[in-house]
Amino acid sequence: MEATKSLTAPKRRFVNPACSICEDEGKVTVTVELPGVRKEDLEIKIEGNELVILGKRSDSAPEGTYLLRERRTGDFRKTFTLDDSIDHEGVDGKLSDGILTLTLKVKEAALPRKIAIR
Amino acid sequence: MYTNRWEPATALDFFDSLDFFRDEMERLMEGFRSPEARGIFDRTLTPAVDVIETRDAFVVNVDVPGISKKDLNVTLTDTVLSIQGEKKEEEKGDKGRKFFRKETWSGNFRRTLNLPDTADPEKVSADLKDGVLTITVQKRDEVKPRLITVNVN
Repeated sequence: MEATKSLTAPKRRFVNPACSICEDEGKVTVTVELPGVRKEDLEIKIEGNELVILGKRSDSAPEGTYLLRERRTGDFRKTFTLDDSIDHEGVDGKLSDGILTLTLKVKEAALPRKIAIR
Repeated sequence: MYTNRWEPATALDFFDSLDFFRDEMERLMEGFRSPEARGIFDRTLTPAVDVIETRDAFVVNVDVPGISKKDLNVTLTDTVLSIQGEKKEEEKGDKGRKFFRKETWSGNFRRTLNLPDTADPEKVSADLKDGVLTITVQKRDEVKPRLITVNVN
């Protein structure tokens, strides 16, 4: 099924952005580098247990000859699979200077509990 | 939380297969690569730069996500353009933080570019927007294309 989907659906090339994932006291922070992406061109959605980040690059290169070309052109896409310990509702996003910071909450039930010893 | 989605590669899309191969290689390398290194086919530790020559200017585009204006230093000496900056790590302290993946880097960088002689060091402007630094250096007036009107008698 996967294979037929990818054969028939129009394929687009995406750039895989650099990202960091860090867990800190019941929060998971995902940092994604999206240079050239404006807030209105960014799409973050949760489909089932997948978190999809789609960023359209809005900066267009001027007409001319490239003397040096190192930047990767194309829109960004990153997909993460969320497991059961992540609260799908409490996702918070912030975009500044081309860096997207997503904060995901770990469900209360999945947090380590401290057991008092009598 | 898994970071990579496994997508089967199809023979029809060669570039997808390459991406897939790269992802797989990265996963293999994960155990023994340095924490700040990115993918094996990506540039490490310096921002990517594009230099475009247009009709009357040189446009330099640099990807600098997460670098603020005050941490960037752009100088132009004659036709040598130097871009210096510092990417700061978010200060939070390491207590209780557990990294699952770290591809973003922090630290100092410096790029020096030698622009063609036709660049005019007097006419330069720089602009930082959404993590992209754009430096425009105008060409010297004498090399810009001019429109010459031909008089027909």
